[in-house]
Amino acid sequence: MEGEKLILDKYIELSRDMGGKASIEGDTVHIIVPSEKLVEAASKLFNEYQCDFRVCVGTDERPLNGYFTITHIFTDNRNGLYVLLKTYIEPQDPKVPSITNAVPGADWCEMEARDLLGIEFTGRTPYRLVLPPEWPKGLHPLRKDVPYNYRPQIRGVSEKVSTTTETGVIPIGPYHPALHEPEYFELYVEGEKVVDVKYRGFHVHRGIEKLGETRMTYQQVNFLAERICGICGFEHSSCYALAVEKAAKLDVPERAQFIRSIVLEVERIHSHLLWLGVAFHVLGYDTGFMHVWRIRERVMYLAELLTGSRKTYGINLIGGVRRDINEEKKQKTLEVLRELEKEYKGLIEVALSVPQVRKRASGTGVLPREDALKLSVEGPTARASGIDKDARRDLPYAAYKYASFRVPVYTEGDNLARLLVRVDELVESMAIIEQLLDKIPKGPILLEKYEIPEGRVGVQVVEAPRGGDVHFVITGHGKPYRWRVRAPTYSNIPALRVMLRDQPLADAPLTIASIDPCFSCTDRVLIVRENGRREWLRLTGGLKI
Amino acid sequence: MSFVKKIIKPVEVLVVASKTGRVTIKYPFEEPWISPEFRGKIEIDPTKCIGCGACVNACPPNALEMIESEDKKTLRYFVGRCIFCWRCIDVCPVGAIKGTRNFELATNDPLDLYDYIVHNRVKCRECGKVTGETTRMLKYVLEKAFVTENYNNKCPDCRKKIFINAISMRRTGPVGEKT
Ligand code: SF4
Ligand code: SF4
Repeated sequence: MEGEKLILDKYIELSRDMGGKASIEGDTVHIIVPSEKLVEAASKLFNEYQCDFRVCVGTDERPLNGYFTITHIFTDNRNGLYVLLKTYIEPQDPKVPSITNAVPGADWCEMEARDLLGIEFTGRTPYRLVLPPEWPKGLHPLRKDVPYNYRPQIRGVSEKVSTTTETGVIPIGPYHPALHEPEYFELYVEGEKVVDVKYRGFHVHRGIEKLGETRMTYQQVNFLAERICGICGFEHSSCYALAVEKAAKLDVPERAQFIRSIVLEVERIHSHLLWLGVAFHVLGYDTGFMHVWRIRERVMYLAELLTGSRKTYGINLIGGVRRDINEEKKQKTLEVLRELEKEYKGLIEVALSVPQVRKRASGTGVLPREDALKLSVEGPTARASGIDKDARRDLPYAAYKYASFRVPVYTEGDNLARLLVRVDELVESMAIIEQLLDKIPKGPILLEKYEIPEGRVGVQVVEAPRGGDVHFVITGHGKPYRWRVRAPTYSNIPALRVMLRDQPLADAPLTIASIDPCFSCTDRVLIVRENGRREWLRLTGGLKI
Repeated sequence: MSFVKKIIKPVEVLVVASKTGRVTIKYPFEEPWISPEFRGKIEIDPTKCIGCGACVNACPPNALEMIESEDKKTLRYFVGRCIFCWRCIDVCPVGAIKGTRNFELATNDPLDLYDYIVHNRVKCRECGKVTGETTRMLKYVLEKAFVTENYNNKCPDCRKKIFINAISMRRTGPVGEKT
């Protein structure tokens, strides 16, 4: 296509201007630039070409070519392209310019690469994001020469709530009152008003990426990926499988892709219902909570019927899926969906008519569009702030190109908008499942024979209930050489600071819950320092927003 | 919607509630709601297992382990680690593993959480050294593939020796025949 060629030319030209080179593979544009041009190129991609920044990946490629590398992952949502901006870094004293001034969303991932790989980022204030305070200096766990089961002796330090005389400090956590996960917020209040927020997360470091790169095989990682999140695990395993399949250029049977999409939507329905229940609970409308969770039970049963498990479905493999949907299951699914839709619509109408639900949700926790864009937020959080993005439509994967659906977008950016986005999405998801069940082609569900060549790169975004999951894979011998995972909450937490500031304290729990945070996914490889002193949260690399 | 209707709308939940009635069940006195597809604990048939270790290689969380000792190979299943993925069932060449729908695995004896299947290892008929395979694996291989009598039951070293001997015999050949 003419238009497509023009777009690709644009990227090739960009790389030529920057003294680098570009290559195109499928839907991925690989751009390699010298490190001094990195900021300029990233800024151009982000600000001028309006690419969406997803995450950056540091890799220890010394065993392959003697360099460290950093790859910034952008997506061109309008043209369905992945744009990978890569640069090589000298192995002695690895240093690379930071892109946070141009792309604020890169803050966390740069600090993560600094902690785990020892790459220094110049032109920004560094801070320790990932490793615990007592962690030995110079030991960077994701470097290839560190064994996965190496455990340095470290002394645990207990944390204190910050004390300050200027403002009151309200600690929330280390367990979230609503979502039962480890994270810690410190809210600074003046009277009833929140003036600033500190987030301290990353308590549940599990070293999953390292484990996947060392102890496991390609197929085993599917099951590990599924355990990144207890709620949207299937998104992670699909994303991983799709990334590997893309890297190896596997021709996965269509039927398998349909089944993946169907199960992904089942998962979205149960996840959104779960969230709606929690939101009503936080709002003090426990009746709604109980009833939403009651109808959610049908979806859990459906998931079990289709996959064999209520959660952590365990049906993804590289090359396809392990469980087929026969005629009987199809009919049962349609039946469950019909009942669910009827009950859901009636229930949600009642719930939204409850005065305190609307009153407390509207106008609170506002995230303006500009901030949302700057911080590259994901999923319903973005769509509630007027950013029309959804990987299912923009970067079609699995079988989504065969379904037609609406992407609900609201512009208010408040808690109500985030609630309504999910309310609408639920109905769309049910429609998607029906369409796909109707169109599902016959054929095998698993690719029997295939080969995964080494050194290939695959990157995939899968729209999870909370936003885009990103999996980046460099293939290796029998297992991934590098596997990078980014859960959507990783991008959304920094936006909480904007949402919480200048708001009444009473709205904070709802606002925190409104991004549907999933802390364990976010933390999959991270831990943060704390020295007991009060420190302003530098979620945006010192950038004032 | 009229004003009054709007006001009383939230009360409609009472209709929903009374229509639904009670949804919780008196577990464990009533059957839990499990679908026919549910994956639970696995059971390994000790009479069928040949100790090949395919399941050990496939098992993602190391719930299945092969413990090797001087003359035994022991397949150990630890249910505490099992994620009930049934990958082991997919890969077992002899169908020794069966999936059950059992998920009520609580016990007050930790030993209940383990299953052991002990296999004897083959001794080399030539030199008596223990080889890697189990006796059952050898039997299985012999049934599937035709290996000459001469080679089975022998360790790799002895096999190599026999092979080299055989080749050299063929090379030089018994004296007096062709060439
Ligand atoms: S079901 Fe899965 S986790 Fe359990 S023993 Fe089999 S392969 Fe291992
Ligand atoms: S794969 Fe089957 S035969 Fe082989 S060790 Fe496991 S249970 Fe036994």
